[in-house]
Amino acid sequence: MGKVVIKVFVFLLILVGLFMWVGYAITKMTGGEKIAGGAVTISPEGGETIFWGKGRCFTCHSIGDRGSAARCPNLGVWGDKLPLPIGQRAAERAKERSKQTGLNYTATDYLVECLASPAAYIVEGFKNEMAIVYAPPISLTVDEIKAVISYLQSQGGEVNIEAINTPTEVSKKLWDKIAAAGAAGGGDPGHGEEVFKMACVSCHILKGEGGKIGPDLTNIGTKSVKFISESILYPAVTFTAGYETYVVIDKSGKKIVGIKTKDDGSGVEITKENGEAVTIAKADIKEITQDKNKSIMPEELIEAMTVKDYQDVLAFMVMQKSRQ
Amino acid sequence: MTKRGLKRTLFTLGIILLLGGISNAYALEANEYRQFAGIDSRKLVWFLAQLHLFFGAFVLGVPLFAVIIEIVGWRSSDKRFDKLAYEFTSLLSVAYATTAALGGLFTFALFTLYPTFMGYMAGVFKDVMFVYAMLFFGETFCLYLYYYGWDWLSEEAKGKGQKAKGIFLATKIAGGIIIVISILFLLGFGGPHMRGDTRAFIAFLLILPIGAGLFILKDRKTLHILIGILLNVFGIAIMLTANSWAGFMMAPTGVTERGDFIGTTWQAFDNHLATPMAMHRMLGNLAFGGLVAGAYAAVKFIGSKTEEEKAHYDWMGYISNFIAIAGLIPIPFAGYYLGREVYSTSAVMGNNMMGGDFSWTFIIQAMLVGSLFLISNYYLWSGMTRIPGAERYYGYIKFMLALIVISFAIWLTPHNLPLTGEEVGKMGGTQYHPTLKFFGLMPAKNAVVNLIILSTFFSFLLYRRGNKGDRIPISKQGKAPLIAISIAGLVAIIIIGQYAVFLLSADPKILDLPADRAVYFRTVGWLLTFQCIAVIAAVILAIKDKGIIAQGLYLGTTALSVTLFLGVYGFIVMEKASPFLRNVAVSQFLQLLSCLILVTTIDVFLFKGAKEVGPLKWGKMTVRSQYALLLLTIIITLNMGLMGFIRSGLRSDWHIFGVMRDTSEWAYTPSNYTMTQMVSLTVVVFLVAVAFMFWLGGIAKGKNDK
Repeated sequence: MGKVVIKVFVFLLILVGLFMWVGYAITKMTGGEKIAGGAVTISPEGGETIFWGKGRCFTCHSIGDRGSAARCPNLGVWGDKLPLPIGQRAAERAKERSKQTGLNYTATDYLVECLASPAAYIVEGFKNEMAIVYAPPISLTVDEIKAVISYLQSQGGEVNIEAINTPTEVSKKLWDKIAAAGAAGGGDPGHGEEVFKMACVSCHILKGEGGKIGPDLTNIGTKSVKFISESILYPAVTFTAGYETYVVIDKSGKKIVGIKTKDDGSGVEITKENGEAVTIAKADIKEITQDKNKSIMPEELIEAMTVKDYQDVLAFMVMQKSRQ
Repeated sequence: MTKRGLKRTLFTLGIILLLGGISNAYALEANEYRQFAGIDSRKLVWFLAQLHLFFGAFVLGVPLFAVIIEIVGWRSSDKRFDKLAYEFTSLLSVAYATTAALGGLFTFALFTLYPTFMGYMAGVFKDVMFVYAMLFFGETFCLYLYYYGWDWLSEEAKGKGQKAKGIFLATKIAGGIIIVISILFLLGFGGPHMRGDTRAFIAFLLILPIGAGLFILKDRKTLHILIGILLNVFGIAIMLTANSWAGFMMAPTGVTERGDFIGTTWQAFDNHLATPMAMHRMLGNLAFGGLVAGAYAAVKFIGSKTEEEKAHYDWMGYISNFIAIAGLIPIPFAGYYLGREVYSTSAVMGNNMMGGDFSWTFIIQAMLVGSLFLISNYYLWSGMTRIPGAERYYGYIKFMLALIVISFAIWLTPHNLPLTGEEVGKMGGTQYHPTLKFFGLMPAKNAVVNLIILSTFFSFLLYRRGNKGDRIPISKQGKAPLIAISIAGLVAIIIIGQYAVFLLSADPKILDLPADRAVYFRTVGWLLTFQCIAVIAAVILAIKDKGIIAQGLYLGTTALSVTLFLGVYGFIVMEKASPFLRNVAVSQFLQLLSCLILVTTIDVFLFKGAKEVGPLKWGKMTVRSQYALLLLTIIITLNMGLMGFIRSGLRSDWHIFGVMRDTSEWAYTPSNYTMTQMVSLTVVVFLVAVAFMFWLGGIAKGKNDK
């Protein structure tokens, strides 16, 4: 039996030796440790490092013959389907986007939009599945995104760092979005806007539109991220003046809870959670108190939200300052 | 507490945590790391984790088939199976303590070397960790009772009184109730809100087996089987629990990006990847356990001095390999599901897996998996030499070998080649080979991987019918084949039919494709409809005693559809409607699955009660074939280590993906060379340790035998 065990052990060593040789040969061909790069400059070289490294762009996009990903459009020349490299393609797409939106897009604006709002323009035959590169886990900084844009410009186009650093009206909004998302920890404000329209706009005004039950949020982005976060998750921590919760008990014992929207000599008007306004004559009021521990903001709202929704809507809220 | 009340409490808890932890930006702050004896902490944890997982997989895998073999022995009254099940369990008992000791060492290493990270994990999973420890008590108790109580519980009890009958009636009723509960649970009644796969996993693998075990309880032997079932239930629950931690690290649930935990323990437990990983691991453990036991049998066979010993260990090796193949064939389906869930968790992580840092690691993995299939086939073909009558099928082997080797080669072909500047110049300035580049794309790879599975399945069918002579026509076997084959046909139609309906009615918009791309959806939909018709034809043919034609028909249409048609059509889809390619892959897998189910069911009745050409000549195997078994064990162990590296490495430089960054000096993705070194080290240590334990077990066994 001893001989058999030795034979088997030698067999095992030969196999693991072969396995290690394969690992060695492949590493020699393809490179070693994949270390996330350090700080980069806003330049095509810096962008190239990000594109083929930390940004993970290469896992979906190839550039011409470089790379093997086919999930998303090739950013180089790719047969009849994509006859121009992205640097030149961007100028063509900018014209298309200008027609579609009525805004005046430059090639750089188009590239900024590709990274800030990848769903805005989907190349035919591909799916809307690009990751938000400024959100975790990729979490590119503004400068890193700028570097990537300059690298894309260098693919057959003119590298224009100045155009990247001095945004137009179109790209300013997109940069604001990226900055807001970064400040909020990485949510996607684009999706946050959808969440807002679905869950918040019936009570809150945003730029003149929406319900009047809750405070106007048009300028909410001037507050701190912590304040906004608390206001969403725990609305009773800080009340905006005029939006405190009142509990009125009339002489028949009926209880009405809401915000006090009118108070004149004859009575008070209480607007309830559902938007219904109830006027109670002073003479009918048995007791009126302010409930400092409760907001009329529905708790079901946060219960129904996913963490992602919360992050996204927070990012959208943080943005509501730069548009003033 | 009402549901709403519970939600409010959780919400309040979330707020408290949020207020307390709003500044706990784990994603940004540096964590605390320590070292032991100057060793690279990451590599130390890697080594211990992998070693623990090897032992764990073996300890969880073996009971799965030990109990099944025991049940086979009990039902067929064949004592050989009972003895074999006992022999498998004896391997288990010696490995169990080592697994637990390694688990303890691994836990200490994690808590001492990664205190911030483990502090966070313990905060989220503290309740689960206690449950985990409790489960260990259950498993330990069941294992030792199962092993040491084998002979005691095999004896017939003296005198069965009315009291015993009453007890067994009660357990039968309890078993029936638990079976009904498992079905209701599966249908969505009871339990917290959970993912569908978690519900199915718990219903089928944790609740139903207990009900079945109680239902069959009628004597000491069935009590022993019930203990074996409980051993597996505890083992599976332990695995599911541990997977929830690994799954949480990849797909954190109920956590904000700042690391604030605002969910419930259950939400963290039932994260996106826990159950898909558990399903994949279940099958992996089965195959792994089978092959490690197979290696034991192979070594014993090589060292056997008598014909009797040779015959026994040859048979044991055969059963082990059979179990391994049973686990290996469905693994690609589970792997596909896990991969899909990884993609849906994070496209970034998914892309990094197949097209990023791990694309070349997957090439190595393809080499290993392809080798597993090739060598398994070789072992089956070698085994045919011990089957009188199997020579009738030798002619097929060379064709199957050619098919598998060609498929294997295509599977290994990378899309673009890592070339030097000079080599690129010689290739005309491109990294893509003019012809081979097509083999590197998904349509080609999906086609050949399906063909490899089909070929292995075909080898298995040939092996099964090797010594079968005159058959009993299916029509003369009563109603059982009619019912079973019809049900198998119905299951096959449901599997592919529901997807056909989906594809025939789906709007291309769901994949962001324009309306004119519907033609691609419809083509595959009609192909699946045609396959449903082929299923009906195969069922009718089988019932009308044309079973071999029925098998040939459905195997043939599946091979043509999955490999040839969709293999080529996949390239068109890739060009015109790239996102739809994933659905093409799903349709391929579903057809293959339906084929395995229907053809196996027909095969069972086709050769049921058939005359044997001659008895199997156990022990008449070459030593070379035993080295093939050993090779399989080493390869599957290497592969498990490699896949562990990929799964863990997918998080890149995050401890908890998107939530807690790894800020240590070891936060990088190691090279493939480093991976092969680390995996080789763990594999050698594991196999040497296992050999040592088997030797120890052998000493104890020899003593007991005397």
